[in-house]
Amino acid sequence: MAINLKSPAVATREQRLGTLIGWDGELSSLAQADARGCSSGCGGGQKLCEISGPFSQSSGCAEQTVQYEATQVRGAVLISHSPIGCSAGMASQNASYRYCQIKRGQQVEDVVALSTNLGERDMVYGGVEPLRAAIRLAAERHKPRVIFISTACSTGIIGDDVDSVARETQEEVGVPVVPVHCEGFRSKHWSTGFDAIQHAVLRHIVRKPTRRQADLINIFVLSGPDVYSPLLEQIGLRANLVLNGCEVENIEQLSEAAASTSFCYSLSSYLGAALEQEYGVIDLKSPPPYGFAGADIWLRDIGKVTGREAAVETLIEREHARVRPRIAELKAKLQGLRVFLGMGEGFAHGLIAVLGELGVNVVGALNFHHDIIYDGVDKQDITIAHLLKHYGDVKPFSVANGQPHRFAALLHQVKPDLVIVRHGVLNALSSRLGIPTMPLEGDSTLPFGYQGMINIGEELLSQLSQRRFHKSLAAHVRLPYRKEWLASQTQGEPLLERVA
Amino acid sequence: MALQSIKAKSPRKIVAPPRNGVIEQPRYACGIGAMQSVSAIRRAIPVTHCGPGCAVKQTRGIAHINGYQGAGWAGSGSAPSSNLQEREVIFGGAERLQQLIDASLEIIDADAYVVLTGCIPDLVGDDVASVVSSFRKRGAPVVLADTGGFRTNNFVAHETVTKALIDQYVGDASAPTHTGLVNVWSLLPYQNTFWRGDLTELKRLLEGVGLEANVLFGPASRGLSEWKRIPQAQFNLVVSPWLGLATARHLEEKFGQPFLHIAELPVGGEATSAFLREVGAYAGLSERKVEDFIAAEEEIYYHYIDGFAELYAVSTSMLPAQFAIVGDSAYALGLTRFLSGQLGLIPARQIVTDNPPFEHRPAIDAAFARIDADRPVIPDYVEDGFAIQQLLRETDYGHKPPLLYASGWERALAKEIKATLIQVASPTNGEVVLNRANIGYRGALTLIERTYSAIMSPVS
Repeated sequence: MAINLKSPAVATREQRLGTLIGWDGELSSLAQADARGCSSGCGGGQKLCEISGPFSQSSGCAEQTVQYEATQVRGAVLISHSPIGCSAGMASQNASYRYCQIKRGQQVEDVVALSTNLGERDMVYGGVEPLRAAIRLAAERHKPRVIFISTACSTGIIGDDVDSVARETQEEVGVPVVPVHCEGFRSKHWSTGFDAIQHAVLRHIVRKPTRRQADLINIFVLSGPDVYSPLLEQIGLRANLVLNGCEVENIEQLSEAAASTSFCYSLSSYLGAALEQEYGVIDLKSPPPYGFAGADIWLRDIGKVTGREAAVETLIEREHARVRPRIAELKAKLQGLRVFLGMGEGFAHGLIAVLGELGVNVVGALNFHHDIIYDGVDKQDITIAHLLKHYGDVKPFSVANGQPHRFAALLHQVKPDLVIVRHGVLNALSSRLGIPTMPLEGDSTLPFGYQGMINIGEELLSQLSQRRFHKSLAAHVRLPYRKEWLASQTQGEPLLERVA
Repeated sequence: MALQSIKAKSPRKIVAPPRNGVIEQPRYACGIGAMQSVSAIRRAIPVTHCGPGCAVKQTRGIAHINGYQGAGWAGSGSAPSSNLQEREVIFGGAERLQQLIDASLEIIDADAYVVLTGCIPDLVGDDVASVVSSFRKRGAPVVLADTGGFRTNNFVAHETVTKALIDQYVGDASAPTHTGLVNVWSLLPYQNTFWRGDLTELKRLLEGVGLEANVLFGPASRGLSEWKRIPQAQFNLVVSPWLGLATARHLEEKFGQPFLHIAELPVGGEATSAFLREVGAYAGLSERKVEDFIAAEEEIYYHYIDGFAELYAVSTSMLPAQFAIVGDSAYALGLTRFLSGQLGLIPARQIVTDNPPFEHRPAIDAAFARIDADRPVIPDYVEDGFAIQQLLRETDYGHKPPLLYASGWERALAKEIKATLIQVASPTNGEVVLNRANIGYRGALTLIERTYSAIMSPVS
């Protein structure tokens, strides 16, 4: 599906990528899923059947994702055009932003975000005037480089014309006023929020290229330290990190880079494909940069598009020599450990590779969603094929948008030695079950590249030694689920299948 | 007699927010944030009928990032939620809610399931009431609190929840009044970062003078079994400037239960002893028992104050003299009384951030004015962080940097004005809050410890 930047709102992931938020199976059955018939043989029109049950737990929304991105662009102001509740977690976004700045050695600032704080009156008369006033106030108070506006369920339902207000006020305030359409109810998965803000910056901030910067590589990141520049600098390249923690200039020059890539294609697929389609910035097609195999291919692809093949080979050789001895030691200690993953699919893909290199068995994964394809050249197929080839199948490889009850059921079935989680909700759950739990919270870069294998290995050893906390906790707390229900889950009659 | 002449407050030259509108750095949540009031009751679970991100945002803001409290026995993200989609916006979500409640009853092991509504069902007009009542007719303990995100904040919605539980779960009075049993309505659970420690201290104090206290929320409460006994209480005790009054009035009407309203949280020896005497007199407790308890507590309390005096009295001229406070009305009032009345500090700026309903503001103003007849304290009611910090910046603190009792949002401002920041307001960031209290005899000592550790640590 070609990307349409003319439309004010991005098409949702389910429309573009066939995104699923409920599914049970194994990694191998997702390979080339878009080219196969229904995996469960139900005869329906879909290639993969989503399973959905009557029970669901609080998840996350696209607007939350947009908050996370927009508030971490330095010099930007976010206006949440919504009742105050949509901004209730802003201090949490702030914590993430402060952590990112500390890790990047930047001067620590708080997020700058206004809520139009709509009330009952505005639901009746509309929120357009409060929004206009908020834009002026944001400009006056903060002198921002850019003003983002996020929409919410309520403002979507009452039909506020946010685009017109943005257009009308932009000239007055003298900086880009960028509407981001991200009403929570429009998409079943929060990752649509990544696409929504990428779509918005493509329409309003990325400039028409004035020159080609042949040594510039776009890297689409989340919060966390810059682990990319130290690597790329060794081969004479500059990393253009976008969006978390970046300056507005980093976004403006996206169109001038030699190529784009990421550590997570679930995050980056839209922006990468759009930049290639609109400006010819090459969207790299390697599997993500995890484990020896992934990191090697990723670097070689970068070397190829920038004419640095020889330098890359030297770098790879140097990095291998640096990390291999320690990885061998870690492998000797970790071999055979049974680990379960609970995280976004992009992270799961990464961890499967890293753990594979460490001799750890990935005995299952709960992924927060699955995109059947990615935008542009389908890196989903490339990635899954790569993982199957190098590290074998993973089963169960389930999909659920958070959903602690499903995580609990899977852990009861699989009984892993340790759990790695990137999601606050699930960390505490596995810990309450007494399972040593290693969080990937906050720092998204821990598993990246060659050093990532050492990072994860060291952390695993540490977590295993720290396991007493979880054991003690489990002995004294209860989960909210009925015993009979959990028992029915372990006997192979998952609720979801029963009611699908 | 003013010990130091206090300059008039500087005129407020803030960039005024339009209407009553814009909020930066939110300090409270929306109506559905009252889901945390449900999570604060043992064996109760919130069932949220709303969009996919609503419940998680409230929990993160009120429970997680605010003192790292954790979200309750069911844990963060465990609240059943209908995660409404476009389909339900167009065709209505009543059927989805019906399914969700059914499944929640099957999967979640709770004694009460409290349905809270967000913006979507309130805007599209879901008939949530008939869905919930169909479950109650079957005898299922399902309660509806119509919190409608945009309608109000989590303070007001908290009493929507308490009244809903009273009407739909507690039911009618069946047992006779139990003399000496009191229902306590005070701080907003989770939202006030120190609610667990404070309610525990409040219970200890009330039981010390011979009452049995239903604190109803948190680890010091037995949870829903306590709620069942609400109708038997001799009276209701509202310990807060305004929160809880609507519940007490509701109970007065419903069960003919009288209530005692004490606007000031009891913080420190003086206020706590006065509080206990007032409660004792109202409840008809043995004066001797009340006085014995007070005497024993005061002996311990003033032992510590006496020791502290060797720091305080010796170093006063080096220590901050003035303080500003930014917090919910309960803390702004109670802590100001303590800091001013007991420690003798000078109130420079008091900012109330919980948006008390307008009908309560004259009484809150009067309560602040009573703190010191020599120099009446006039509170500001502001919720927007930018405006709050402008006020704090423009305040004259005299010749020394002040103490600033505020939230994590004031960290940068505190640095800027060289204030010593003590976080007592939501969101409290970068600080773990478990069982610490700030009220009563014991809490006040903890507050003194925190305050003067923060002052002494950088200069020691």
